[in-house]
Amino acid sequence: MKNISGFLRKRVFILDGAIGTELQKKGMPSGVCPEGWCLDNKEIVTSVHRDYVSAGSDVVYTCTFGANKLKLSKYGNFNVRKINKELTQIAKKAVKGKALVAGSIGPSGKFIEPFGPLGFEEAVNIFKDQVKGLLDGGVDLFTIETMMDIQEARAALIAVKELSDKFTIVTMTYEKDGRSLNGVDPATALITLQSLGADAVGCNCSTGPKRMVDFIKMIKPYAKVPLVAKPNAGMPQLVDGKTVFSMNPQEFASYSSAFASCGVNLMGGCCGTTPAHIKALKRKISKFKPIMPLVKSISAVSSARKSVILDVDGPLVMIGECINPTGKKDLADDLRNKRTSIVRRLAKDQENAGAALLDINVGTSGVDEKEMMVNIIKMLSVSCDASLTIDSTKIDAIEAALRIYPGRALINSISAEPAKIKRLLPLAKKYGAMFVLLPLSGKRIPHKFEERKAIIEEVLTKAKEFGFTTDDIIVDGMAMSVSSNPDAAIETLKTISWANKRLKCNTVVGLSNISFGMPQRAQINAEFLAMARASGLTMAIVNPMNERLTLSRLCTDLLMNRDRDAREYISRFTKKESTQKVDLSIEDKVSLAIIEGNRDDIESLVSQALKSSISADRLVKQAMIPAIDKVGDFFDKKQYFLPQLIASAESMKIAFNFLAPHLKKTTSTSKQTVVILATVKDDIHDIGKNIVALMIKNHSFNVVDLGSDVSTEKIITEIKRHKACVVGLSALMTTTMVNMKDVIFAAKNEKLNCRFIVGGAVITKKYAQSLGAEYASDGVDAVRVVKKLTGK
Amino acid sequence: MNVNYFENIIIAPPKERIYARLKFAKGKTVLEDSQALEVEEHISQAASLINIKGAGVIAGVKDVEPNKVILSDGIVFESQQLVKFLEGCSQILIMGATAGQKIIDAISENNLTASVVFDATASEMIDESLNWIVNYFSRQLVRESKHITKRRYSAGYGDFTLDNQKIICDTLDLKRFGVSLTQSYILTPEKSVTAIAGIR
Repeated sequence: MKNISGFLRKRVFILDGAIGTELQKKGMPSGVCPEGWCLDNKEIVTSVHRDYVSAGSDVVYTCTFGANKLKLSKYGNFNVRKINKELTQIAKKAVKGKALVAGSIGPSGKFIEPFGPLGFEEAVNIFKDQVKGLLDGGVDLFTIETMMDIQEARAALIAVKELSDKFTIVTMTYEKDGRSLNGVDPATALITLQSLGADAVGCNCSTGPKRMVDFIKMIKPYAKVPLVAKPNAGMPQLVDGKTVFSMNPQEFASYSSAFASCGVNLMGGCCGTTPAHIKALKRKISKFKPIMPLVKSISAVSSARKSVILDVDGPLVMIGECINPTGKKDLADDLRNKRTSIVRRLAKDQENAGAALLDINVGTSGVDEKEMMVNIIKMLSVSCDASLTIDSTKIDAIEAALRIYPGRALINSISAEPAKIKRLLPLAKKYGAMFVLLPLSGKRIPHKFEERKAIIEEVLTKAKEFGFTTDDIIVDGMAMSVSSNPDAAIETLKTISWANKRLKCNTVVGLSNISFGMPQRAQINAEFLAMARASGLTMAIVNPMNERLTLSRLCTDLLMNRDRDAREYISRFTKKESTQKVDLSIEDKVSLAIIEGNRDDIESLVSQALKSSISADRLVKQAMIPAIDKVGDFFDKKQYFLPQLIASAESMKIAFNFLAPHLKKTTSTSKQTVVILATVKDDIHDIGKNIVALMIKNHSFNVVDLGSDVSTEKIITEIKRHKACVVGLSALMTTTMVNMKDVIFAAKNEKLNCRFIVGGAVITKKYAQSLGAEYASDGVDAVRVVKKLTGK
Repeated sequence: MNVNYFENIIIAPPKERIYARLKFAKGKTVLEDSQALEVEEHISQAASLINIKGAGVIAGVKDVEPNKVILSDGIVFESQQLVKFLEGCSQILIMGATAGQKIIDAISENNLTASVVFDATASEMIDESLNWIVNYFSRQLVRESKHITKRRYSAGYGDFTLDNQKIICDTLDLKRFGVSLTQSYILTPEKSVTAIAGIR
């Protein structure tokens, strides 16, 4: 049984079930250190392990789930290595050679950078302490389980792999929405973990078997390693204030067929399962022949939350080229000053423009490339979903980046230069990265396809010695400028075509190199992209915001039937063409612009209206006010929601501002009724009040907005100064709404002849009445109330 | 206290709740493509400006009096209603989170349409972040057959006065995330929250 991989071909491997709940049943009290209690109660632990072996488990997990420095420190001063060793020895003794013992490693209890404060290397070392103890005790394999954070799973896996070559299972725990708490989906986790060296990957805990079947089914097509499922006995339920898992052994085992047919290779149970569940599971699942991994390798990269399958027959994959300081002074200065704001913006813009990967190059004078590369990777791992391409000439920068990157990275690039081959291939292997194979062997550039082919074959041979396949490699067609070599494009196309047809691997070019030194570069680039696509190009390093290139990409994908059902092409162009308008009178157009909240065109429409001899006052009274009233009506009927209401109000405001010099004094704001608005003392929430201000202004009232956290004294002073007729007060919190009373009381004391309206999330009509004020539920209602109070 | 800090809580904007907060009524509200696109862009922009940081700690309940909860670390919360809320709980989860200052600046600097969507996105995401923290601790507690109460309690509810916000902020050391309190115990940046849940 020690040859686990060989055994897995014969039948589904049976893991154990829950340990914690079994120990609790046998007397482990709540609140104690579980590992400490296990050491003091060896007989009970032994009996739990034995029960699982008797039930048919091929593997039992050591009781070391929380036996790491951070978790144990909560309970006192434990020797991590010793406790792991002793608990492993208990398990080994209990199974008497009838089952394998897997060293269980659970989460550290702290989140790791970039998601938490715990340093990545510190985390690796914490797990290494545990791994050493488990090895001392003689574990047969490792199981890293119940991971919520892909970076923590990586840290634990690196810790194991740097100390041992034993079979290692990694299982993540997913929420009902199919993502871990930190946002990774099962396929992305699989791609990251199997490339990093996990021997089996899957999921445990959190869901019952029904949902977990979906996860296994989802990841099987991408798995080059056996898959693992360890579901709970259903979803936890509260019965008499206690958490229980109600699925009985028969029902649990009834999912065997579903798990086996979707390709699970190792299966056990998590919370709430018992030896009886495992026994029933084994009886049923043993009847099924295991489905081994369907693929031997996979061309895919991943980030902390998303993966990209690099399908040679799929649409063109864009690698955004913009994060590169060459020729970008602002970016270079930013990097020199250790700032990352431009990088963050460029990343987001490129991602929004459709880049699936982002090339990260920070090489410029005055920048510590290793430090900056790591900082940027941490920052982008949190702020964007695209996978990253590590582009550097510095091997130490690449190594540091690969270690911290919470996904499967792409290295740009590895050439046949001896120093690069020697250092970078082992690094790519260790961290499971894909790499761009650049057909360069020395300082001289190979211009001819035949020279490039020879170099590619040389690197491939060496890469295969490390276990790489052509799925792990992307061949660079090496685009050079046609301005210096007229055959440059032809030789690149030959390289792409050969790599695509003969090696059947992905190919890439740095597209814009082709046009360097030529006029009309965008046109050349776009034409070359189409030619390269026809030759088999699958990826391109480009500026994804370039509209000309985007069009070329969409068209070539459409024409080569790589855009399924022309979805992307159609969605792109129907959006742009849907904004055409039928011909309307200019007043109707102004009215429609307000109703639609068209802030871009309202000013020119109003200007056109004035030019066609429509007076400003007529436009306000006959087009704008009826339009905004209609919007208010739509809002009341819920046909409009808040952003539509406000967009319309903003259009109205733009029109009013434009028309102000043309309006008669009765319509302009100079002599109008004054309405004062304020958010009361101690309350800083003012967005509702701002909406009310905009709405009231649009109905020709003179609004004086005093802002938020305004003292009673200030409000009273301003009422007097402006001779305000109406005062609107807002508050969001129950603790601040009482301050409204002070204002109204002070106004009465001062014998001020103004009326009050109150509103805000916690304010009710009843509360308003108790203050002797009017109540407004929203901006539209506030306009109605102000009009009522002022008789307008 | 063994506080867990989460430097980057990554959650997708809970769209349904954001739209509901903006008074979108399913089957009634009619949205043109361009309007829908604008709202989606504002939500996406808000999400890129929101950097949720959070903290949580489990504290044991040492003693309960009719109007106060005394925790094992010496912390005392005075509130009859909180005592009732925590009835039967042996431990409590104290948590806090902030969406950061950038989104607050964006709310005040942008046009009102964008601001309203930013505000709703931040409010719902920060609320969701507390669910995230609860889920994080639940994953561990379930192994001990414990669960966290579905409801949460915050300072400012009933007789659990707002000044308790200071105890919570100090316990979690929220100032490390740039969170502070105004004189009237309101959290700043504005989209910051604290809460308590019970553990049974």
